[in-house]
Amino acid sequence: MLPDADLGTLMARYQQGDSAAATALVNCLSPLLHRFFLVQCVSRRYADDLLQETWLRLHQVRQTYRPGEPVLPWLYALARHVRVDHYRRTRRVESREQQVEQLPEVPTPAQRRPDSSPDLVELLAGLPESQREVVVMLKLSDMSLDEVARATSSSVGSVKQKAHRAYTSLRQRLAGPGLSQVGPGDRHE
Amino acid sequence: MSERDIDDILRQAASEPHDVDPALLERISGSIRSSLAPVRPLPPAWILVSGLCLISAAVAFGGAARLGLYGIVKLSDLQTALIFPALAIFTWIAALLAVGQMTPGSKRRLSPPILLTTGSLALVAIFASLFHDYRIADRFVPQGLACLIAGLVHAIPAGIASWLLLRRGFAVNPVAAGLATGTLASLAGVTMLELHCANFEALHVMFWHTAVIPLSALAGALLARTLRSTRP
Repeated sequence: MLPDADLGTLMARYQQGDSAAATALVNCLSPLLHRFFLVQCVSRRYADDLLQETWLRLHQVRQTYRPGEPVLPWLYALARHVRVDHYRRTRRVESREQQVEQLPEVPTPAQRRPDSSPDLVELLAGLPESQREVVVMLKLSDMSLDEVARATSSSVGSVKQKAHRAYTSLRQRLAGPGLSQVGPGDRHE
Repeated sequence: MSERDIDDILRQAASEPHDVDPALLERISGSIRSSLAPVRPLPPAWILVSGLCLISAAVAFGGAARLGLYGIVKLSDLQTALIFPALAIFTWIAALLAVGQMTPGSKRRLSPPILLTTGSLALVAIFASLFHDYRIADRFVPQGLACLIAGLVHAIPAGIASWLLLRRGFAVNPVAAGLATGTLASLAGVTMLELHCANFEALHVMFWHTAVIPLSALAGALLARTLRSTRP
């Protein structure tokens, strides 16, 4: 991924209407966003939808990015908003829908594995959503505590606490059966 | 297993290339390119905060001048020196929060509910320390209602003007943004009441004047919630 200063330059050019900068941003930031959604235990198709929706929203409100500010907190704040908004809308629609007798088959996590990045999804699956997103931002997107706090509209102390709790849960999970056999060195071999 | 081991596992997972369907990326890029036009970024936060503070001051002074500046004439120097700077600081913090709420990924110093609670309690404490006439007049409720309504009526134009100034922003949490803007608007109403109202009974000022703040904040939050739920 590009350093934040380069992302900031691309964002500024995108705001000026530079289509090459827009394409570069889409190519550079989409994998981050897609993984962010995928780690929230959604199917790949749902993550694709959320990714499209995030870019649509981001494009509509691109003027809210202030040049010189870090890009990733702004990006993740919008991505979180899209996820919550999407979830709320889905629930509203579901509450109005009639229940059918035979439910269609939905992909279980096991069926989803070949499509997604299974290790990371599996590893983080047991964490609460708020801890999962903090881990993704801190460790996978290399954001600072302050940037994660900005993205999640919370304090640095709260981010630290969530990260600490996430690590405690991960340690327990990794020490338990199954995941424990995979050490840091051989996990992705 | 140490924290470093977990870090290593996560880092390895992160270093694995994560591919997104190229067709999807092309579709997204295409749709962005088709509607790509230059946009002006939001002005710096201090400009927006200053604008919001000016709006509040203009509504408060304009309203009080129209209704009569009876309150400020009757206030002692100490009362004036404590009440108005406190209201100015409260307004400035509320404006800062409202601007932050309309800018995704901005630094959060305080949450709007905390500002609402602590700000209202601080004002009550200031009023309690400055006004000592605890008699309850016969017309406590009618006089109080008149002040409450006047305060809320002045909060409306302040809220609308604030929204117009912030409309190019985007609230990732519309309810919190509504609460912050409602609190800010209410302060224009309260400042107007302090300039205008010459009723210095402690309970009148502490209850009816301060009540404008939570009511206006609540109205802002409810309005934002309603607008959000009606959005497709």
